[in-house]
Amino acid sequence: MLNHIPDSIELVDYIDDGEQARHYHFRLLNLKIGQNKNHQHNWQQVQPGQFFMLNVPSVGEAPFTFTEPPNEQGEFRAFIRQMGQVTSALFTMQRGDILGARGPFGSGWPLDKINNNNTLIVAGGCGLAPLVTLIDKLADSLMDKPENKQKLVLVYAARNKATQMLTPERARWQKQIKIFNTLDEYPNASDEYPNASDDASDELPVTTVEGSPLIILPKALSTFTSPPTTALLCGPEVMMNSIATYLTEYGMASDAIFLALERRMHCAVGLCGHCYINHQYVCKSGPTFSWQTLQQLKGL
Amino acid sequence: MKIYLINDLQRLQQHLAKNYQFHQVVTNSDGQCHWQQIASETTKPVVHDPLIYEKPQSSAKAFFFTEQEKVLVFNGEFFQETIPTPKPFVLFGVQSCDLTAIHYQDKFFKDDPYYQARRQQCLLVGLDCITPCEHGFCPTVNAGPGVKDGYADIILHPLANKQWLVIEQTNKGAQALKDLVFTETHWHYLTQRDLVLHQCEKEFPDDKYITDGIQKINSDEISSEFWRKLAIQCLGCSGCTTLCPTCSCYGTRAIKQDNNHFSQQRFWDSCLYEGFQREASFNNPSAEAGTRVQRFWQHKFGDEFFTEFSRHGCVGCGRCEQTCPGVIGIHSVMKRLTEERGQKNGQEDTNA
Ligand SMILES: Cc1cc2nc3c(=O)[nH]c(=O)nc-3n(C[C@H](O)[C@H](O)[C@H](O)COP(=O)(O)OP(=O)(O)OC[C@H]3O[C@@H](n4cnc5c(N)ncnc54)[C@H](O)[C@@H]3O)c2cc1C
Ligand code: SF4
Ligand code: SF4
Ligand code: FES
Repeated sequence: MLNHIPDSIELVDYIDDGEQARHYHFRLLNLKIGQNKNHQHNWQQVQPGQFFMLNVPSVGEAPFTFTEPPNEQGEFRAFIRQMGQVTSALFTMQRGDILGARGPFGSGWPLDKINNNNTLIVAGGCGLAPLVTLIDKLADSLMDKPENKQKLVLVYAARNKATQMLTPERARWQKQIKIFNTLDEYPNASDEYPNASDDASDELPVTTVEGSPLIILPKALSTFTSPPTTALLCGPEVMMNSIATYLTEYGMASDAIFLALERRMHCAVGLCGHCYINHQYVCKSGPTFSWQTLQQLKGL
Repeated sequence: MKIYLINDLQRLQQHLAKNYQFHQVVTNSDGQCHWQQIASETTKPVVHDPLIYEKPQSSAKAFFFTEQEKVLVFNGEFFQETIPTPKPFVLFGVQSCDLTAIHYQDKFFKDDPYYQARRQQCLLVGLDCITPCEHGFCPTVNAGPGVKDGYADIILHPLANKQWLVIEQTNKGAQALKDLVFTETHWHYLTQRDLVLHQCEKEFPDDKYITDGIQKINSDEISSEFWRKLAIQCLGCSGCTTLCPTCSCYGTRAIKQDNNHFSQQRFWDSCLYEGFQREASFNNPSAEAGTRVQRFWQHKFGDEFFTEFSRHGCVGCGRCEQTCPGVIGIHSVMKRLTEERGQKNGQEDTNA
């Protein structure tokens, strides 16, 4: 039987980052105090790109991706933007308060296709959140072999500087992978771009340009010594749509391009119907789909 | 499995009412038919109404997938499941279309503990239809008029001179009939039943526009313009999704109590509501009414769903036609679909 019941979690801490967004640090209480031993949520097997349903007591539930999956102590992290009812209520909660979480749900990024292959990642705004655990994982494995640095390239698009999210993560990756930023509204010359960091010596310089991520794609693609075999996209659907089209024209196979979709969700187990895309449910068959599958689903 | 011939349906009704909460379709004062609990095991046997053949206004869906269901409670510290514990109940006289829908939902909600907790307590007594009902087209979608094998625990088939065939279908059905002394009868009655059902099938109106419509829905011949125009008539009232025995979408809400306690409910939702897929960012993949109406019919007749459930989502009950204030129920939509000729994406197909 499906388990619709959240496990209790504690709000351990949070830090602000970007416009009305926070990094939240939670801890599963069941794991710690041994309650409910045979709960069915498989917290120790979270794959990058999977998500959980956060239950804010007396308000409701909403889906979020892990930016750090639960460790052995049951601690995990998520990056959360304040949007509506559930997230606004969350933003008023204090350290030590108790909430609920159930998951993990959905299929994550196709790790077997990504492993050891040249991978291009294009993320827009908050769409970077579902990629954090994956980039961390890949970047770490690349660190061991510096000659591999070219294998992972990130294009990160945002409206303006204020809406660039996940600053600590990007600062960390800067040492490990090549990053291109695009901004719809470019800052004044007096701003600190393009040298976003103080210590450029052991880093790959971050390139920041004005415009949509499409503008920087040729350059990003030319960074690879051999063309990327996988592309991962996450962000607004219009953006993903145009990038996927560009990449197929560039010669990538449509089953090598993966997109993470966002849909309204209530159950996360394929029953409530809200997240449908044609005959599939994004919570179950997704949230990551290949471009090939999505085109068959006529979803975009 | 045994078959019996009985003269007195009352005996069966009263016997079942001893062991089950008893529900049957009755006609109320304004002539509408609906399911009603007639007697529980605690009350003295009452004289049961004779079975009526009329299709109830609402299907039996709400007995299993309830209009509102409490799914959990939170006590400030822990979340607890609230699985319903209904007493055993019998639905006496469910028509084939509605039984087919229950069979469909059994698959869809296979792993849902709330649905299953209710479903397992239920004894289904099916009723063969021997004349077509208004708006019904069950034969077209292989959902009637006779009860399909295994879709009920017991089947009732009316014979001439007020006799009934009682056909055991499952162990649960056999158990329910165990202590009754009924005369077993010959298998040839089943042949007679087949003939009657076959005759009934022939009495349904011509359904070519429906089969053609289903084909069209599964072709890419229909323009989004067609759905857009059709959807102008959709009032987003949720009448069809409420009455359709296979619609299963739900929303959830928290119900606040004192001192940080709350319960969470799920309730029937409708994919035809404008906000059904609206996200917090106001992105709405089905903001267009045409998209929503198209999706409703795709869900009922799309090949993709057929593959998954081994049948169409529509069971031919005709309730959407009966209820739709905008006149875009099944029959109206299928007729308009067949009139729609070779237009795709707003462009005239010159070959048509
Ligand atoms: C797979 C997935 C992963 C996500 N990961 C993140 C993340 O890591 N960080 C982040 O900030 N946001 C993420 N989102 C978006 C996030 O779920 C919404 O911002 C959130 O639901 C808003 O809820 P709300 O109650 O504040 O808004 P309201 O508009 O008040 O929403 C009310 C209800 O509608 C539903 N709802 C509304 N919008 C959405 C939506 N986009 N997706 C799902 N349900 C919705 C929820 O059930 C919510 O309870 C993700 C969405 C999905 C589908
Ligand atoms: S649709 Fe068929 S099975 Fe349903 S009530 Fe009408 S005749 Fe009977
Ligand atoms: S779509 Fe209409 S005719 Fe078909 S099962 Fe639903 S309500 Fe009945
Ligand atoms: S969230 Fe309920 S079906 Fe996907």
